[in-house]
Amino acid sequence: MSASNKITYKSWLDTRWRFIAGLAVLVCSSSAIVLVYPQVVQLLPVAAKVQATGTVGDEIRRHVELSSTFRGYEWSQWNQQNLIQLGTLFAVLLGAGGVLSHGAGGGAFYTLALPVSRRRLIVTRAATGLLELLALMLLSSLVGPAMAPAIGESASLPDALAYALCGFIGGSVFFSLTLFLATVFSDVWRPLLIAVASASLIGFGELLLRNQLSFGFFRTMSAETYFRTGGLPWPGLLVCAASSAAMIYAAVLNLERRDF
Amino acid sequence: MADPAIIETIGLKKGYGGFEALCGLDLSVPAGSICGFLGRNGAGKTTTIKILLGMTHATAGSARVFGLDADNRESGVAIRQRLSFVSDEKDLYDFMTVEEMIRFTAGFYSGWRTDLEQKYLRAFDLPPNRRVKALSRGMRTKLALLLALSHGAELVILDEATSGLDPAAAEEVLQALVAHVAREGMTVFFSSHQLAEVDQIADRVAVINHGRLVVSGALDDLRETWRRIRLVFSDEAPAADFHSPGIERVSRDGRTLDILCSAGLDRIVNEAGALAPASIDVQPVTLKEIFLETVARGE
Repeated sequence: MSASNKITYKSWLDTRWRFIAGLAVLVCSSSAIVLVYPQVVQLLPVAAKVQATGTVGDEIRRHVELSSTFRGYEWSQWNQQNLIQLGTLFAVLLGAGGVLSHGAGGGAFYTLALPVSRRRLIVTRAATGLLELLALMLLSSLVGPAMAPAIGESASLPDALAYALCGFIGGSVFFSLTLFLATVFSDVWRPLLIAVASASLIGFGELLLRNQLSFGFFRTMSAETYFRTGGLPWPGLLVCAASSAAMIYAAVLNLERRDF
Repeated sequence: MADPAIIETIGLKKGYGGFEALCGLDLSVPAGSICGFLGRNGAGKTTTIKILLGMTHATAGSARVFGLDADNRESGVAIRQRLSFVSDEKDLYDFMTVEEMIRFTAGFYSGWRTDLEQKYLRAFDLPPNRRVKALSRGMRTKLALLLALSHGAELVILDEATSGLDPAAAEEVLQALVAHVAREGMTVFFSSHQLAEVDQIADRVAVINHGRLVVSGALDDLRETWRRIRLVFSDEAPAADFHSPGIERVSRDGRTLDILCSAGLDRIVNEAGALAPASIDVQPVTLKEIFLETVARGE
């Protein structure tokens, strides 16, 4: 096995349990959303009769309307809620530990003494983590088309692929943020907590300014534009991809200049 | 012609905030030597080693290994391809087994010596399927040494390699290292504050104190040039003022005057003779005394 493959293998070993846990959680969550739909359909007439006013009433009516079709239900429950929350959490977890902290399995000085540049170490780590994130988004999004026939429904494969792409590129922002923070702090916890706090603040801000903002990281991640118009949110995807690339580049520069 | 320097630092400085860990270190380690790098805790030994390995960036000055710039990204990789390192903490991947650590490490070095790997695996009695985190400190050190010695490196750098080991384990590690060096002909640069260890295996020594080199040279030469001259007088020893170069310290105790010198023995003995002592005794000086004298000078 070449040195490059060794580094890739090490990156996989560092993150494999987080990936497996993420895959299990996301696939189970996505499956549950599909399997619960028949019961949701039975409750829709009851929900439609709820006399609520204001924001709460608007939300109830919005979800009743969305859930009247399987496509709308799946998007509102999976993409707009679970994928954003769980997907962001596992994106952060995959980025945590970085290359040389204790979260990377120890052996920081051993790794630094290997005949491999720091740039290669972190680029390989980033590539491995991003591939894992893509796999999480893709496999969990494919649950819809795979399991919908089991409940007498159907889900579009192109839709699932578009959702996976948006989930991946949006989620990569938080993965890259955590990876960058891991080059700033030596411990595992601060990058994790700061990244989760940042995601929470961004999410809260997007919620408050929902009607004023045409762009949002989580709006891109949920593929809302695609759901409503059938077109991919290219500006949002480009901003997310550029942000992610910038943070990975910053992580490379930071790791190269750092003293250990 | 002198052996080329495999490690060379010129005016090496490293500061951390307001603290200067290295204050202009000029170090030269010839190829083929076993050089003990001595110093007190916090003297700058580990900082020096980290700079040589490219783990830390120097503030000023230069550090070269194999003639290559240790602070350059590309040459740093080339340097680490040709050397091996054993850290103080024996920092390895806890989640891997012994076998996995060996296979993982071997993949980075085209000159990996499977014969040495098998030899040390047997000699150190390392269990291949045991996880690194389950190894005792002694076994962890032996594994780190196996990894360092099996890849055909031209230079081995050891940072307190035997720290925390019991005497038997430490002796086993040292003997393995000495035998390997004798057979394979490589350079060893090891930091330690175990003087007995340095005395046992090193042929050169460099003493660092407060970030500067205070003594450096072949151990035999140091033993040759450093001497204690004991003058015994019939009455109270005089408070003499010596002018000869090479005098490190003069101490007076009752009828005895002790002179510790690092050079110019004959001239100092002549000067001491002018004081008309009852007897002049010239004694060899141990490495410990040289070390204590040179680091105490800096306090």
